[in-house]
Amino acid sequence: MPELTYREAVRDALVQAMREDEDVFVVGEDIAEMGGSMGVTAGMVDEFGPERVRNAPISEMAIAGAAIGAALQGMRPVAEIMYEDFLTLATEQIVNQAAKHRYMSGGQVSVPVVFRTQGGAGWSPGAQHAQQLEAWFVHIPGLKVVFASTPEDVRGLLWSSIYDDNPVVFFEHRTLYPIKGEVPEEIEPIPLGRARVHREGADVTVIATGRLVHESLKAAEEAEGDGISVEVVDPRTLQPLDEETLVASVKKTNRAVVAHEAVTRMGFGAEVAAVLQYQAFDWLDAPIERVGARFAPLAFAPVMEAFVVPHAEDVLAAIKRTVGKE
Amino acid sequence: MATEVILPRLGQGMESGTIVRWLKSEGETVERGEPLFELDTDKVTQEVEAEASGVLLRIAVAEGEVPVGRTVAFIGAEGEDVPEVAEPVAEAVPEAEAPVEASNRLLQAEAQPWIERRSRPEPGAAANGRIKASPLARRMARERGLDLAAIHGTGPDGRIVAEDVERAEAGGEAPPASNRLLQAPVPAGEVERRPLSNVRKTIARRLTQAWQVPVFQLQASADMTRVNALVAKLREREPELRVTVTDVLTKVCAAALVRHREVNAEWTDEAILLHPSANVGIAVAAPQGLVVPVIRGAERLSLAEIATLRTDLVARARENRLRAEDLDGGTFTLSNLGMYAVESFTAVLNPPQAAIVAVGATEERVVPVGGELAVRPMLTLVVTFDHRAVDGAPAAAFLRAVKEGLEEPGLAL
Repeated sequence: MPELTYREAVRDALVQAMREDEDVFVVGEDIAEMGGSMGVTAGMVDEFGPERVRNAPISEMAIAGAAIGAALQGMRPVAEIMYEDFLTLATEQIVNQAAKHRYMSGGQVSVPVVFRTQGGAGWSPGAQHAQQLEAWFVHIPGLKVVFASTPEDVRGLLWSSIYDDNPVVFFEHRTLYPIKGEVPEEIEPIPLGRARVHREGADVTVIATGRLVHESLKAAEEAEGDGISVEVVDPRTLQPLDEETLVASVKKTNRAVVAHEAVTRMGFGAEVAAVLQYQAFDWLDAPIERVGARFAPLAFAPVMEAFVVPHAEDVLAAIKRTVGKE
Repeated sequence: MATEVILPRLGQGMESGTIVRWLKSEGETVERGEPLFELDTDKVTQEVEAEASGVLLRIAVAEGEVPVGRTVAFIGAEGEDVPEVAEPVAEAVPEAEAPVEASNRLLQAEAQPWIERRSRPEPGAAANGRIKASPLARRMARERGLDLAAIHGTGPDGRIVAEDVERAEAGGEAPPASNRLLQAPVPAGEVERRPLSNVRKTIARRLTQAWQVPVFQLQASADMTRVNALVAKLREREPELRVTVTDVLTKVCAAALVRHREVNAEWTDEAILLHPSANVGIAVAAPQGLVVPVIRGAERLSLAEIATLRTDLVARARENRLRAEDLDGGTFTLSNLGMYAVESFTAVLNPPQAAIVAVGATEERVVPVGGELAVRPMLTLVVTFDHRAVDGAPAAAFLRAVKEGLEEPGLAL
C-alpha cells in the first residue's frame, strides 16, 4: 500500500475529486500559487487553473458565502478557512445559512459544501491561531462535523464529505500534516458517522479525536506496561456520532476516558460522556474521565502552551484513575 | 389494569422506609382507606392505607427497607395479571438479619490466610447509609443476589467496584477489622446485642449533628406557686382534661418565643430563619426511643387546646402510632424530666432548632421572699441555645420572659 503524509492525503482526495468531477472546486486564501498556508493545495493550480483553485480576498465570510452559493447552484465546493480560529468570521454563513437552507426550503435545495480548516497547538502559534473549536459546530443541527486523525481517514472522510449533500465542517490538525501512514491504492470512501477502533483493549476505553488519538495510543502503550489493557477509539465523525461503537466498547471495558485537545469544559467530550453514562450506565465501573485543555487562552510560550493542552501523560493519568491505580 | 401500591413519602426528607409487616395477604380483598401495611420510617411506625379498592394481587416487597416511590404491591381485579418488578434486595440497607450473615462470612474468612485481610480500605457503606458502588457493581450485585452492604469497596473513596463484587461472590470477602471485634465470639448470655432501629439511628445521627453546634446554656429558677394554683383550678373545673405543668410550660414558652423571635429560629449557612409561629416539640420517652411530637402554633392555643393535643400525642407516641406529620415542623423543644425527680439538667439541641429547654422537678425550696425565708415550689429551667443563631443577651431576655410567664402565668395567657 502506498504511504502518504496527512497533508498529501488531503490533497489527494481534493485532486482526485476534481479530476473526476467538474463540480468540485476549491476556494480560499492564498491557496493557488502559494498552495495554502499549510501547503495542502500546493501545485493544484497548475493542474486545474485559477478558476477551480480560486484565491479569495481575505474575508472568511465571503469565502463561506460564495461556497454556499455555489453549492446551492449544484456545485460541490471545498472552502478552505486558513485557521479554524477564523471560522468565527464565517460563522454567520455556516451556522445561519449553510446549516439551515435545506430545512427551511423543505428539502428543495441542498448545500453540499465542505469547510476545510485546521488548527491545534504544538508549534507556538499563540492564542488566536491554534484553537480547537469543533464543539461550537457539533451543537448546530444541519451541520456534519469531521475530525480525522490519520492519512487514511482524512482522505476517505474528505471524499465522503465532498459527496455528502449536507454542509460539512472538516477539521484537520496542524501537527498531523507531516505524519505518514499507509493508505489504500484507490480512495476508499469512509462513511460519515462511523468510528474507528485503533486498538483493542479490555480494561478501559479511550475515546479520542485529532492529535489526542496519537497521544492516547502512546498512553495505551505505557499503560500496557502497567498491566492495563486500553482500547482506543476515534469517532472520526463528531456529528453524526457513532454512539453504537462507543457504547459497545465501554460496555466491554466498563471504563471510559474521553480525550481531545479542545478545552475540557463544555467540550465535545462532555457530550460523549453524557451519551455513555446514559446508554452504558449499568456497565460503568468508574466515573468517566475527561482529558482536554485547561480553561485558558492558549499561551504563546512553548512551555506554557504545553502546560495548557493535554499530552499522553495526561491520558495515562486518567486511564489510571479509572482503574483505581493512580 | 392493576394499581401499583407505591411506598409513600410520609414526611420531608424521607428517602426510604422499612416495611414491618403486611396487614393484608395476597388474594385478600382490600377497601380503599383500609390499613394495608405497617411502615417504619426513621421517625415513626405508621399504618399505610390502601389508595384503591380491589384484590391485593401481589406483594412485591414483603418486608425490609424500600426507597420512596418503589412499587411494593399491586391491587386490582381478581385474577388480573401483574407486571414483574425487581425485588429491591440488592439495594436494601443492612437489616436485622445482617449480623448472622456477617458472622458466617467471618467463619469463612477465618480460614483465609491472615495476610489477605491486612489494610483494607474504607468500607463501601458510607456513614450516611448511602453505599458507594459503581453502577456496574450495583448491577452485578443485583443480578447475583448479593447485598452491597456486606461487600467491601476497594475503589477510590471505598467505592465498591466490579472486582469487589466478584471477590465477594467467590467468598473471598473479609469483614473490616472493626467488625471482627464486634463479632468476636463471646460466652452466650452475657452481652445482649440490640440491632439499631431506624428511630435509634435517627436519634444517634441527629444528636451527633447537634453535638457539633456551638451551644451555651442559661439557667433560671421560677416560683411555681401560681402555675400550681392555675393547674389545680383547671383540673377542678375540667377534671377530664388533665392540664399539666407541661401544658403551661408549652404555652408560656410559646408566648415568650413569639416575643423573642430570635430564639424561635433556625441556623442555615445562608441565613438565620425566624419562624412566624411557635411549634413546640415535646420530648416523649416512647418504648421505641425518644420522639418529639409537635404542638403547632402553641402561642395561639388555649391551655385546654394544648392539653387536648398533648394528651393525644403522648398517648400515641407511647403506642408507637405517631404519624410523620406529628413530628414535622418543630421550632423549639421542651424536655421535661421533672417526673423523675431530676433537679436540673442540660439538654442537647434538637437540630435544626436553635433552642431547647430542659425542665427539672418542681420542688419545695427555701427562698428569700421580701427579706424573710419562705418555702416555695421552685422549678429550674436550663435552656440550651445554638450560639450561631442566638447571642447571650436575647437568649437571656427570652429566659426571663419564660420565668416571668411562669411566676405570673396571666402574662402569657
